[in-house]
Amino acid sequence: MSQPSSSTAPTGGKPTGEAVQAVQDALAAEHAAVWTYGLVSAFVEQGPKTAEGANAHRARRDATERLLRDASAEPVPPAPAYLPPAPVTDATSAIAALVAVEIDACVAWRGVLERTEDAELRRTALDALTGCAVRATRWRKAGGLLPAGLAMPGTAVG
Amino acid sequence: MIAESRGPLLSRRRVLLAAASAPLAVACTTPPPAPPPPDPLAELAVRARADAALATAAGLTEVAEARTEHAKLLQAEVDRARPSGPSSSASAPPSTSAAPPPSGGTPEEVVAALQAAQQAGTDLLATVPPYRAGLLGSVVAGCASLVEVLS
Repeated sequence: MSQPSSSTAPTGGKPTGEAVQAVQDALAAEHAAVWTYGLVSAFVEQGPKTAEGANAHRARRDATERLLRDASAEPVPPAPAYLPPAPVTDATSAIAALVAVEIDACVAWRGVLERTEDAELRRTALDALTGCAVRATRWRKAGGLLPAGLAMPGTAVG
Repeated sequence: MIAESRGPLLSRRRVLLAAASAPLAVACTTPPPAPPPPDPLAELAVRARADAALATAAGLTEVAEARTEHAKLLQAEVDRARPSGPSSSASAPPSTSAAPPPSGGTPEEVVAALQAAQQAGTDLLATVPPYRAGLLGSVVAGCASLVEVLS
């Protein structure tokens, strides 16, 4: 049981005011995550973990773009490339890049939670934040990093 | 002389009576001076402390430390919102309503407690102001992360 997704994962909500920029930041983090999962595919053994992560971020990116268009905002486009915290040259650095991108996404989605009163958008942001936190933990476990868990995902301290 | 010997007797009785009824008096007087409803985050803090104790009993140090941090952060927000009684709430005894006391403490019990905490936080999400939603979100996601650690 990785996520409390009872029926369908929440993907909606109506951002207004400063929440629009927060959702744009979250979308930028999702673009970076999608790109990074592609980048590491040569270095990390492809399996359920990579597939789940790549699919989850693609789905979240698409849903977030829809959400922004529905709020009459132009979704931010992906950057041509992203800079991982360290060059990705092997499995270890590839896993570090995945952990970093999941943690960045945690921060971005917490930012949405802090800027909206919209209950549906909060559910969406919490679902995204939780998913990223679980994947970051999974990758830290896979990389043998301790502690594997994140006590406070979305905060600077992790 | 008579009055003097009666005096101490009376006061001793009074002291005994007062001592016996003091907890009762506290229990009876606490609700009236606090008309605002209890802070919902306070219960999450109690739950986090109970989980930390349970995880410690189960030998799961990482979970215990993370849930202790959750308790601190939640309690800090409760105290910030209601600065009138920070000392009393900070040392609030684990109320019986939130979570069962740590019995033996098995990893399965810890996972169940973390999942329950995740749900409790999620249920509150729609009702809190934005600055609390961020805190709540990190606590909920933190619990999910800890479940993944134990999986």
